[in-house]
Amino acid sequence: MSEDPYKVLGVTRDVSEADLRTAYRKLAKKLHPDLNPGNKKAEEGFKAVATAYDLLNDPAKRAQFDRGEIDASGSERPRQPYYREQAERDAGHPYGGDQGFGDFGGEDIFAQMFGRGGRADPNRAGADARYRLELDFLEAFNGGKRTLTLPDSQALDVTIPPGTRTGQTLRLRGKGGSGIGKGLPGDALIEIEVRPHSLFKLKGDDIHIDLPLSLRDAVLGGRVSVPTPSGPVSMTVPKWSNAGAVLRLKGKGMVRGGASGDEYVTLRLTLPAEPDAELQDFVSRWGTTKPHETRQAEETL
Amino acid sequence: MMEMREFQVRASVETDVLHAWIDTGWVIPDETEGRMTFREIDLGRAQLIQDLERDFGVNEEGIVLILDLVDRMSGMRRTLGHLAVAIRREPDHVQDRIADGVREASRKITELAS
Repeated sequence: MSEDPYKVLGVTRDVSEADLRTAYRKLAKKLHPDLNPGNKKAEEGFKAVATAYDLLNDPAKRAQFDRGEIDASGSERPRQPYYREQAERDAGHPYGGDQGFGDFGGEDIFAQMFGRGGRADPNRAGADARYRLELDFLEAFNGGKRTLTLPDSQALDVTIPPGTRTGQTLRLRGKGGSGIGKGLPGDALIEIEVRPHSLFKLKGDDIHIDLPLSLRDAVLGGRVSVPTPSGPVSMTVPKWSNAGAVLRLKGKGMVRGGASGDEYVTLRLTLPAEPDAELQDFVSRWGTTKPHETRQAEETL
Repeated sequence: MMEMREFQVRASVETDVLHAWIDTGWVIPDETEGRMTFREIDLGRAQLIQDLERDFGVNEEGIVLILDLVDRMSGMRRTLGHLAVAIRREPDHVQDRIADGVREASRKITELAS
């Protein structure tokens, strides 16, 4: 900038130091960008005024300028970025003010839309960090421990409680964003998605499963091994159990609170993989003497 | 984020003065495990404090008042900025209705004042 600094400040060339300061302060107060939001002209004006003042306020420089040895350029003062611009840009700093929307229209619509009522605490808690985590069905059912690696390569130990369900959120206290000032850090919130299992179907708190059953066990009954999410258990199949019959294993479902659901076992009658001549022979002889009608149910539909 | 020493150099502020600023809450650094770190915005705030103090001859009470007002104004402008973004995302007829509503509301306020 090469404008005459005396003109910029609106003073005569013989101005006293005290008058110079008065003139500068008067202009600077009017033009300071932190006090004149959104006014680009004020910002430029302030820069010019500050530069002019810096030059004339230094007796040595002022004398040089008066003798014509230097001009007004190149003496701009190095400045930090203006405070207000940064304070407006984001809220991630402790200098929040009461915005004074509390009594607008008596309806508090701004207070409702824009949150906080009072002045923000300079020591604010950190923000919560949100994550998503996919779990295998058995891991969610039985619970366990997992070490997760966060995007910032920090390790996070997560305890998965038994009976964790899709849509559930695990909260890890103090594992979120760091607090402002003396504020406590925020929490890590982990939203859980449980992958479905090929064998076990979850309905509410109950597990449903299809169990292949041999002809012999279906006819004569017996003890069979049944898979449950917590491991196989043995179950008694009553004799003459028909295909599609449903048996209940009490307490083998998903945990909720102190209680557990049940496991429902649907029997699927399964013939041997390879045709068996003896069985075929027997059934052909037995079937002709003891026919039993199986179509009836379908025909009534 | 920067350490205290870097902040002092960049803001050209002496240790005693900086500690006084922190004690009065003029500057609020981050504090983790007793170690203070400063943000870019703290530099801007330091500059404003220095402008007020050195160039404008504002005394301590005046600085407290001005910082508070600047913070309120910044928060308000930020909020209005968000509101403007939200309105601009609405279809034209919604924007027009809001503009009409604002005009009408301001007219009402004028009538009450006269």
